[in-house]
Amino acid sequence: MESEKAVEYLNGLIGRTLRIHATDGRIFVGLFKCTDAERNIILANSFEYRLPTTSAIHEAAAKETESWDKTETKAATVKVNMSSRLIGLIVIPGRHITKIELE
Amino acid sequence: MLPNNEVRVPPRRALVQEKAVPRDITAEFTEAASKLRTGQLVKDETFTLFEAVGALEIMDSKMDSGYIAPGENHAQALEDDYDVRRDLTPEQVVGLMDQLLCHEMAWHMGHPLSQTLFTSIYIDKLLWPVPRTIEDARFDRVPSEYPLVGLVLRTYCLALVKACDFVHARVASEYFYEEEDFVTQLYNRNLLSTFDSSHFYRLLDQAVDWVDVQEGIEQKLRDAIRSRLLLRREFLAAVDQDLEILDTRSTDSFVSCLTYLKTLTETAALGNAVPEAFSLKLQRKLASTVPPRPIVHIKQEDALAHMKRLCQDAIDMQQMLDYRGPSNFKTAVWTLLSRKPQPSVYIRSLLQALIVSDMTILGAVSVRQFLYDDLAELVLPSSILLRANTDEVELPSDPRFRVAQIMEGFVKRFAQPYVDTVRSACLNRCRVRRTICHTVVDWDNLQMEAEELDLQLQSLSAEPALQFQGGEATFSYPLSSWAYHQKLIQLRLILQMGFELSVYAPEELPGIYWYLSHICSTHLSHLDRIRTFTVAARKRDLVSSTHGETSAHKSPAYHRSFLYLERLTTHIIAIDAFAIALHALYVLLARHQVLPSAAGPDAYSSDKLCYELRMKPFIPISLPELVPFEEYQREATLEGDTDATILDRASKAITEARKAWEATLANGAFVEDISSPMKEPSIAIEEDWRRDIKDTMRACIGASIAIETVKKALLGDSPRSESDPLKLQVFIPEIGSKTQWHDWWIVPQISEKKAAKAATS
Repeated sequence: MESEKAVEYLNGLIGRTLRIHATDGRIFVGLFKCTDAERNIILANSFEYRLPTTSAIHEAAAKETESWDKTETKAATVKVNMSSRLIGLIVIPGRHITKIELE
Repeated sequence: MLPNNEVRVPPRRALVQEKAVPRDITAEFTEAASKLRTGQLVKDETFTLFEAVGALEIMDSKMDSGYIAPGENHAQALEDDYDVRRDLTPEQVVGLMDQLLCHEMAWHMGHPLSQTLFTSIYIDKLLWPVPRTIEDARFDRVPSEYPLVGLVLRTYCLALVKACDFVHARVASEYFYEEEDFVTQLYNRNLLSTFDSSHFYRLLDQAVDWVDVQEGIEQKLRDAIRSRLLLRREFLAAVDQDLEILDTRSTDSFVSCLTYLKTLTETAALGNAVPEAFSLKLQRKLASTVPPRPIVHIKQEDALAHMKRLCQDAIDMQQMLDYRGPSNFKTAVWTLLSRKPQPSVYIRSLLQALIVSDMTILGAVSVRQFLYDDLAELVLPSSILLRANTDEVELPSDPRFRVAQIMEGFVKRFAQPYVDTVRSACLNRCRVRRTICHTVVDWDNLQMEAEELDLQLQSLSAEPALQFQGGEATFSYPLSSWAYHQKLIQLRLILQMGFELSVYAPEELPGIYWYLSHICSTHLSHLDRIRTFTVAARKRDLVSSTHGETSAHKSPAYHRSFLYLERLTTHIIAIDAFAIALHALYVLLARHQVLPSAAGPDAYSSDKLCYELRMKPFIPISLPELVPFEEYQREATLEGDTDATILDRASKAITEARKAWEATLANGAFVEDISSPMKEPSIAIEEDWRRDIKDTMRACIGASIAIETVKKALLGDSPRSESDPLKLQVFIPEIGSKTQWHDWWIVPQISEKKAAKAATS
């Protein structure tokens, strides 16, 4: 009975967009296609998101100050987009998954 | 699963600004998944295991291009700590330029950008983040303070990327095979396609001017850098205006490229490589659905040779741009594309664009005219069918009006398939053969449709019947005759290209050469039929024309047609005779068990199955019908003929072949047009054509020597009993080896066995 419910729950997620956080900090966003007992997850049309690198942050910060009046020093918070790219069909092994989010 | 070549980029979602807050379902998911049995899957109904196999495994170093190994410095691994603003020596700049050229040519040869140019840190920095202005397109936000880097190297890179942009656009707009000929994938990068080429010329001029006044740089290095910049300028100009050759007939840019390429070759040794400016890690940033793959390294000499050939092919292409009739045009296209090595994919794409665009051949002749010219040349030298025009005759009851209508329908149906027969030669060689195997079936249907039209036209043009070869009275059927001719050429090409592509095993050679001669003799009798009807039409014209003017006016058309038929006949006789000779030779070798065999003695195959498999493209063809296996076997093994008869057949045929090939060579590559003023001959292409025929003649000589050797062994001085094995060593040279004179003529190397000699003496 309980296993039936589990299957039902997972089936309800098929085709939805999931965000999967991996152990190395990357996030994968894609359409949920398949999973198994080991929580291996297959996503289609997925994008890989990676936290911006330190140099990218520095650069953005530099740009920010440039655009401001140079005489004024501002401790502004800088917004930097995560770098992303399309990687298509992927399988994320269950042991590398730290967090699963539903969009 | 998306194939690699079609990475559709779905609309990018901005993860950060997403309004709907995602819900954490880690616990529920994990709980639910743990309830599944081992091996149980929850999946999308349409998702197959087959697709699942194609998924990239994340955190697997072999599959996941974004994987960073434990212990690898995160920032360093992603960013590459290579400083693109650092100063470079002139030697290093030369080295980098040459390395980039190697990568560019490797891409031209068919390797993906991700393994070639996109491994360059300089190129990556130029293209990402996407520059909005040309000034933005630089290595770093803060420009390098060294002009050798910030101006010279940057300009070189920009011009190179822009040239790639033009090449990419050209190839992608024509027929080619993704991953087989070329990889168009750009990994969500843009090759500066939004910027006008004038920016690049301006930068190149600036860079050259700067280099010219650098007294501090050694002269020879200055020249080396200068010629590299100028090569970029000329190459960019060449690919920028590649279609304009139709108007300008100018190949100046490609010619200049060749000059600079010479300097490049001479100064190649001056460069110092900077391997750290290239990194495989850049693949982590590319939108790619494939696993990480290694950087492709090609030799500099190979890259230069490739570019040189590309330029030379482009220059020679100019010689075929003057339309001088369909047969000349087709010969030129075929000869150019049969060059070894085959012209690069860019050249083949450019040629496709020149051959036909907007239903116009070579930018000058309408497809309709092209089709009519070909009909005139082969079957209708001067016919009402080609002159009927609905514009002139508007009375629907007039037969000419009906004729014009039918011919209009013919053009609509046949123009595309006909132009495609010319254009398909621009594919890679394997695909040329494969395409013909498919289109020949279409032509079988086209011929039947043409026959319908012929019947309708017959009654309208009141064509008198003719007795042909003592048989029943029949009609000329010009349109279907023409279609049949096209089909016979295609059937022959399937066989001949099979030799070129090493399709056949040695034991198949006797049968295939027999089939080749069978197709040739069918073709020859078809040409005879066409000639008979053209002769009759000519006679009718002479009789019916009361005033000599019309007759004289038609005369050149007849002349050209007879000339063309004559040339065709000579050529096909030459092929036929050579095929008969090789057939006979191979039958003897097979009969005496000295022909090498690719299949083992206990292979699961039979001659019948092998024949069916090999003749697969011929099976659906209704005319000429596939020869039934029993008949084929009888004919192809020359059943019942003695060795002496076969030897005689081989000797006679090879003598005839040599004569016919000589006659073909004497006829020349092109039909001379007597009515139009002499145009500049296509020297390079004609030279290629002559070389091809001469190679065939060399193969003929090789074959006659082989025949003599077999004759000596069979009918030698010492009488040999039937049971004695033939003391011959037979070796089939590989295609492309020096001992194989021509790709279409596999001539065996036959020598007497040394051991046998020792035994007899």
